[in-house]
Amino acid sequence: MKYDNFTDSHNSGSSDKLLTGNEAIALGARKAGVDIATGYPGTPSSEILPFLAKFKSAAVNWSINEKTALEIAAGASIGFKRSMFTTKHVGLNVASDPLMTLAITGVRGGLVIVTADDPGMHSSQNEQDNRLYAKFAKIPMLEPSDSEECFNFTADAFEISEKFDTPVILRTTTRISHSRSIVSNLDVLGVTSLINYDYHNSDYPNSHLNNNLNDHLHSNLHNRPYVKDIEKFVMAPVFARNRHKLAIKRLEYLTDFSNNSGINKIEYNSPDFGIITSGISYQYAKEIVPYASFLKLSFSYPVPDNLIKEFVGNVKNVVVIEELEPFIQDEISSLGINLKGKEYFPRCGELTPDLVKLGLAEAGFLDVRNVPNAPNKYNKYIKSGFDDPENILETLPPRLPVLCSGCPHTAVFYALKKLRVPVMGDIGCYTLGAMPPLSAMDSCISMGLAFGAAQGLSIAKSSHKKTVGIMGDSTFFHSGITSLIDAKYNNISFTAIILDNATTAMTGGQDHPGTGKNLSLNQSISGKIDIKKIIEGIGISEIYTIDPYDYNETFKVLKNALESENLNAVITNRPCVLYPKKLDCGKKFEVLEGCLGCDLCMQIGCPSILASRSSGNLGDKRIPFIDASCIGCSICKDICIFNFIREIKINR
Amino acid sequence: MDDSIQNILICGIGGQGVVLAGKIISLAAFESGKDIKTSEVHGMSQRGGSVSTHIRYGKKIFSPLIPENEATAIISFDIYETARYIRLFANEKTFIISSEHGKIPQWTPKNKNDRIKNGIAVSEEDIANILRSNFKSLYLIDDKRLALDLGNIKVSNIILLGILSCLSDIKKEIWLKAIEKNIPPKTADLNIKAFLTGRNYCENLQKL
Repeated sequence: MKYDNFTDSHNSGSSDKLLTGNEAIALGARKAGVDIATGYPGTPSSEILPFLAKFKSAAVNWSINEKTALEIAAGASIGFKRSMFTTKHVGLNVASDPLMTLAITGVRGGLVIVTADDPGMHSSQNEQDNRLYAKFAKIPMLEPSDSEECFNFTADAFEISEKFDTPVILRTTTRISHSRSIVSNLDVLGVTSLINYDYHNSDYPNSHLNNNLNDHLHSNLHNRPYVKDIEKFVMAPVFARNRHKLAIKRLEYLTDFSNNSGINKIEYNSPDFGIITSGISYQYAKEIVPYASFLKLSFSYPVPDNLIKEFVGNVKNVVVIEELEPFIQDEISSLGINLKGKEYFPRCGELTPDLVKLGLAEAGFLDVRNVPNAPNKYNKYIKSGFDDPENILETLPPRLPVLCSGCPHTAVFYALKKLRVPVMGDIGCYTLGAMPPLSAMDSCISMGLAFGAAQGLSIAKSSHKKTVGIMGDSTFFHSGITSLIDAKYNNISFTAIILDNATTAMTGGQDHPGTGKNLSLNQSISGKIDIKKIIEGIGISEIYTIDPYDYNETFKVLKNALESENLNAVITNRPCVLYPKKLDCGKKFEVLEGCLGCDLCMQIGCPSILASRSSGNLGDKRIPFIDASCIGCSICKDICIFNFIREIKINR
Repeated sequence: MDDSIQNILICGIGGQGVVLAGKIISLAAFESGKDIKTSEVHGMSQRGGSVSTHIRYGKKIFSPLIPENEATAIISFDIYETARYIRLFANEKTFIISSEHGKIPQWTPKNKNDRIKNGIAVSEEDIANILRSNFKSLYLIDDKRLALDLGNIKVSNIILLGILSCLSDIKKEIWLKAIEKNIPPKTADLNIKAFLTGRNYCENLQKL
């Protein structure tokens, strides 16, 4: 794909593009000449690698999990190449083992870690604030606030990484990664860095890398042949003690950079109202109180102590606006300056323009009664609200995500519900099996938890029933294999179910070792790695493969597996109905007249089975009907024991 | 719509094409030289859940999210979702372009009282009446019928886009180009027909 073809430019013919934050990060990495990019899919980070892969300018591939991905990036850096690792916030926990020590070894080729956090948990199990990892690991962090900064900061991050001999964290959030905004000057070859690298203090550390720092193309550095350097990369105690000292010294140089490089900026406006902020919060505040003075932290760790002192000295009232943890606020208080922030802006969930407006009103930055269209909390003062006499809209049903029509996971969860067994679950589309009406999964905590938790729950003996551990194929590769080996090693019995739909579905259908494909070539790069053979290799001999579109067989096999006293495994064999392409079995089903409204078929949670509005003379009972979205999986026909569901025969 | 900041909220059910409609509108606004920001939802919420995309364009845009009560237009592919989002984002001047059809969330409690409590008692007609009594600029559309007349139910989102286009200050040619850039080439004729159906529908109303 040619660079100019992916989206359109303004009619004016300039190089402006409308890009998501994730697309801009990919282009920033391309501009920096990244050689190797790795990651594991996770919302909201998943689109960076596929976008970068389109340009075929680097080795870009999904890894089996985040730890392996970061280790590949580390090896590339040791080989003098620029590397990037992308992950969602919780994935950095998985990669935190290599991260914490790479932080003290430092790098050769620039190493950039992109962590996409998910405040508000749009598609995550927690909303941890990964800015704390920068402080924990003592490494620098950049926080872009729109797509243009995603592009520029990513390119700059590689320079900073090499200059200061450190991995660099680029931290986004959902509203940065999945927002589109205009990126101008997408000049791929020229370096248009906004950073001034020539300020006075540029002698850290006295490593071999510094010789090349003024050569922005880094052609010499990145073509070096491999040499070993055990004092730098063998973190045995004798060497690690020295590297840790260097890492602490490095913080002084990074603080100097944070103050003087120009990347952190003060915008003086009002002498009375000042805001210190970063990321998306900057955009909200800028819109609401454009008259305030701003200290925008783009390089938010280590914080620029001198700039903060100057700003607080020059502006009368200063508040900190940040999502999630009081990270900036705490850093500033450790300078001996106490500012308010979390007193006005919530620590839970994501900020919105309206929450920022409320907080700023409470902080006395604006008089909310004078603000047109003030947030709903103040509606009672400002306008009478909608004509909604019976408050009928208050009672709208929530619409939660559900398994797709024809999803191969459905029958398994319905059977597990009937079997009433404890089910340790995992992370993926199948997490939706925990929700009503299926309600057949009892835990969702971390990637790959299910088999470990199933072992523990079995040992706990708190249920007289055999335990189930259930996860998808991509999760099994990510971190299910190890815990299944552990269960066999410790001879603990439970039933391990692998919902193999041949893709990583929840994040948009990415490939994994079981598909044998990957991003770089989008064609087979290896033989498909066979889940059944892995399980056989572990030494588990009781393995069932089932067709989840045959409900009765699925139920029978699961019942047998749960009656067996062995550690055993059940693998499903139907592909996802969405990825890699939308499937349709080519059949349609209908509910026959005479249906008694027993509700059984409604209990599988298929989005194609709806309740009729008129229930006739059956009182409260709902008569179902099947709408046009049915793809013909036929599970409901098996479920209806009264035979009121039948395939529609189309005569042609 | 005047030339101050335009805030367009698109809502519907995951899988109805909310993200695609957002891409088309934002490309059209971008091509007409505006500053623009959008925000969309990926991942879990896309599995048949309630989804929305925010689009803001004008001279200079900071926040990608639309502030409460400040939507210029709400386009909705499901009338229940219309009801959900007007409460937070609409004011009395907001253009409401909504399908008159809606899908009741498929799983509802067995007990009738629980159903009433969970809102299942609210009918499409109830919501339509509330919309009619609150919004002067209301376009309540039988998009299913219009789409089926064209031969494919899937283009109902493009029909609603056609209505928005007629209310916007972006040129028709730019809209057509934005649609073509975002759909598979073999569906171009159908989608353009759908777009024009919506646009003509709106133009005819304005002539009355």
